[in-house]
Amino acid sequence: MQRSGAAVLAAPDRRRVMSDISHPARPASLVGSLTSKNQIVLVAVLAVLSVGISLAVAQFYSGANIIAILRQTALVLVVASGMTMLLITGEVDLSVGASIAFVGVVAMDVINRTNSVFLGALAGILFGGAVGLVNGLIVTRLKVNSLIATIGTMMILQGSVFLYSREAVQNHHHIASFVDIGAGYVGPFPIPVIIAAAVFVASYILLRHTTRGRYLYAVGANPKAARLSGLRTDQLKLFAFVVTGLLVGVAGLILVSLMNAGQPTAGRGFELTVIASVILGGTSLSGGRGTLTGTLLGVLVLKVIDNGIIMLQWSQDLQMIVPGVVLIIATWLDLVRRRADAG
Amino acid sequence: MPADAAIVVDARTTFALEMAGISKRFPGVVALENVDLRLEPGKVHALMGENGAGKSTLIKILAGVYPKDAGSIRIGGREADVRHPGDALRQGVKVVFQEIALIAEFTVAENIFLEEYPTGRVGSIDWKAIRRDAKALFERIGFPVDPAAKTGHLPISQQQMVEIARALAHEARIVVMDEPTSSLSPSEVALLFAVIRRLTSLGIAVLYVTHKLDEVFEIADSVTVLRDGRRVSTRPIGDHSHQSLIQDMIGRRIDNLFPRARGPASETVALAVAGVSTDAKLRDVTFAAHAGEVLGFFGLMGAGRTELAKAIVGYDPIRAGTIAIGGKPLHPHETRTAARLGIGLLTEDRKGEGLMLELPVVQNLSLAALAQFARFGFIDEAKERATAQSFVDRFRIRTPGLNQTIKNLSGGNQQKVLLARWLMRGLKVIVVDEPTRGIDVGAKSEIFALIDRLAGEGLAVVMMTSEMPELLGLSDRIMVLANGRITAAFTRDQATQEKILNAAIA
Repeated sequence: MQRSGAAVLAAPDRRRVMSDISHPARPASLVGSLTSKNQIVLVAVLAVLSVGISLAVAQFYSGANIIAILRQTALVLVVASGMTMLLITGEVDLSVGASIAFVGVVAMDVINRTNSVFLGALAGILFGGAVGLVNGLIVTRLKVNSLIATIGTMMILQGSVFLYSREAVQNHHHIASFVDIGAGYVGPFPIPVIIAAAVFVASYILLRHTTRGRYLYAVGANPKAARLSGLRTDQLKLFAFVVTGLLVGVAGLILVSLMNAGQPTAGRGFELTVIASVILGGTSLSGGRGTLTGTLLGVLVLKVIDNGIIMLQWSQDLQMIVPGVVLIIATWLDLVRRRADAG
Repeated sequence: MPADAAIVVDARTTFALEMAGISKRFPGVVALENVDLRLEPGKVHALMGENGAGKSTLIKILAGVYPKDAGSIRIGGREADVRHPGDALRQGVKVVFQEIALIAEFTVAENIFLEEYPTGRVGSIDWKAIRRDAKALFERIGFPVDPAAKTGHLPISQQQMVEIARALAHEARIVVMDEPTSSLSPSEVALLFAVIRRLTSLGIAVLYVTHKLDEVFEIADSVTVLRDGRRVSTRPIGDHSHQSLIQDMIGRRIDNLFPRARGPASETVALAVAGVSTDAKLRDVTFAAHAGEVLGFFGLMGAGRTELAKAIVGYDPIRAGTIAIGGKPLHPHETRTAARLGIGLLTEDRKGEGLMLELPVVQNLSLAALAQFARFGFIDEAKERATAQSFVDRFRIRTPGLNQTIKNLSGGNQQKVLLARWLMRGLKVIVVDEPTRGIDVGAKSEIFALIDRLAGEGLAVVMMTSEMPELLGLSDRIMVLANGRITAAFTRDQATQEKILNAAIA
């Protein structure tokens, strides 16, 4: 109480001091300068974890394990890229876990019926996009809070996937190119990692260098100001929902390919991993602030922890507990750091 | 030293409050340096100063929100130890802060006795007594509020009265009011002043914190001015003029608050509003604004100023009527079209509707004009920054750099950023709603000069204001709103304060 109050009060006085300084040289990067400090903690955590686990278990830094970690990272990163945009606009989507399972079931089913990986992939991605569109319409048209709206769609999806198919949809045709989506390689790189890298780069450019990206920040930072400035705030939010949905479609394809079957129960808790990574990466739940590099670091930290627990042969239950603890501590550290910055 | 003088005076009079040699440091800044303040019972003492002068720190120390680093506080002649907001209240000091500290979901009566509910025999709360006592209290200060009303449903002015009533319920001897009129209409201000006079007639000392000059001359007996954490002067109000008060507050003279450098307005109609009505408030509003003029709209609280402003820039829907900018109709009725046609709003609610507080100055500046710096949707950041810098220079926006987070700028500089946001985009008409709300006197004169310059450059400026001096000082023509209708129109020469107020009450 006392501390934060003092910081608030000190601010106007500090201004007087600052106003005497003439314009300093322009820092190289705008968003970069804002975010680099955010990520010091994460880079440090990642380094400590990697070194620590490597010391305990040498296989940790073997090529095979690093590839495994990257593959795990890829699945989450694809969806987390969209979720970052969504959180930046001040909204959230909790239905991604339920949706990713449904995507898998739909894609597998379409492949079985048409014998075409392309059509199956298209159906899966479109299904994911459609879920995003519905979420977005509920939030922007009906003005239902996105947390509640997407809990609703999550429940609807979890239930209706069983109406669609009682049990897992198996891969009837054993098409090799389908298995490759999840398990294949291009040179030394797993295909999911390449997909995730492409998604990441495209999202990064969108957020960092385009007007649309800047508008997404504006909508989250102050929706009324954005609208007064002539932006279509609802349309921008809808965009973020649909992008997230399409990326859930992409991730769903990777997942179904890895499992080689459409599992109605897949992806339980996936939404929590995704949102935890994004928050861990410094994106604000209240909108207007966040970066994709932060998200990447967030996903890596969680996946290294996951992997480390397996490597160390600790109890699997810790795979949920440790990330929970890390999330709380990291968010708290970020608060402390920000408070210190504020004087 | 003033401290010595205090001891001498103390022998003769008992002050309601004496704060002597108060100092307070925050990491890196001295917020208060050896400040003295004395209140006499039954008198209104004004505490003035610009934002950051130390007013809030001083009253927060008095209220027990912050501990002081040095100095002493005597209440009613006795050394007082105030370490906690509860302490202050127990010793008879009630601070009514700008942000009302009432529980919105409780009734008025429940809020008044919040700290100490009267209890019955078994320790249960005596609700009947609460309602009865609250009613008696309101009769004493002569204010008609229903004690059973839910507090959150009352207008701010009445919530303030509830706070003051709370002070009386606790038998406060000192009532501190922090910028109490910042969201009140003139008639509500008059009511507040009547209540303050009643308080002083009961022997209560009132510390009135404000930066509004007119109010001080109306209500205060004496005034202390702070600047940069130091006490600049303490004088009876009779010894002050507007000039001398401003000079004490900002440390320099402002000879003319409303300089006029622009020429006469042109005949070209920039904005034509015809028969506009809204569901909520506006009834058949018709007017035109010409390029190069400042058209002032005056209205009391609830007259429809902000509603009109938001309707004509496409933010709020209209039910009937037409709006044309530069001859082109605002259709569809949305802000995107409005911005394209060249009309924008400088909002009265800087934080809520204007600023992106956590984002840097440059992003706040370029928001409306971003498309100009982009090719195929990709932003040319060098171009964006160069343009932003040119506006920072031109508007003399004081910021350590373009990357500074905007929340760290002063209100005046934030306002200039928001103004620049629109000018970067390029407008024909700018609607400014309470352009100097919450801004220092020094920065106000700069905003006035900017508005004058914009009109001089050929913009039509539509200004919504409840501040009579700025209405009369800036406008070429004046229109008066009451209950959502235009009730009078004056040229600059015809307008007088009296005529305007009469039309506003109509």
